[in-house]
Amino acid sequence: MIDNDSLAALIRRDLPDAQVEIVDRTGTMDHFNVTVRSRSFAGRTLIEQHQLVYGALRGALKDGRVHAVELKTLVSEG
Amino acid sequence: MSEQLKTEIAAEVAANKILVYGKGTKTAPRCGFTLETIQFFDHFGYPFEVVDVLENMPKREVLAEMTNWPTLPKVFIDGKFYGDTDILGPMAQNGELQTVLREAFGGEAQTKATINLH
Repeated sequence: MIDNDSLAALIRRDLPDAQVEIVDRTGTMDHFNVTVRSRSFAGRTLIEQHQLVYGALRGALKDGRVHAVELKTLVSEG
Repeated sequence: MSEQLKTEIAAEVAANKILVYGKGTKTAPRCGFTLETIQFFDHFGYPFEVVDVLENMPKREVLAEMTNWPTLPKVFIDGKFYGDTDILGPMAQNGELQTVLREAFGGEAQTKATINLH
């Protein structure tokens, strides 16, 4: 389990400019819908964008704090 | 151990045009995302295989390292890693996936999409 703020903080540790929206899908604090908007995604393929976010969440996925993520990434302007 | 697993994974990926590493089997998926991925490919009508790695932690570790992708399912098409339906969904919407599949299967298979009348 992890709360939304801690999850967003993990993502921002790797992507400091990221705007993160999180929805707890199941109310159990381990299945999330995550939308990340960042300038770091510019010029990268969708799969590379997702790999950046998953890199940030690797520890939390590995130790079971997060079970599943439905991820959406967007390139932010400017 | 991990070299052996890498060889095993490479052989599985090479033997199947569409390969899904998931939780559970094609007929008995044990995870909502794996089921979603099976339904996704059922719709396209091309043959695909599902390898159950739910209980195989060493293989899951090696797969995660190889793809830089920590979650299941993991989808390979024609030997290339495509992530999961969060990637494939948008690719299907913009037509990119249909091109990838047509090229992978040499254009011989027909998709089911055209006979869906609903």
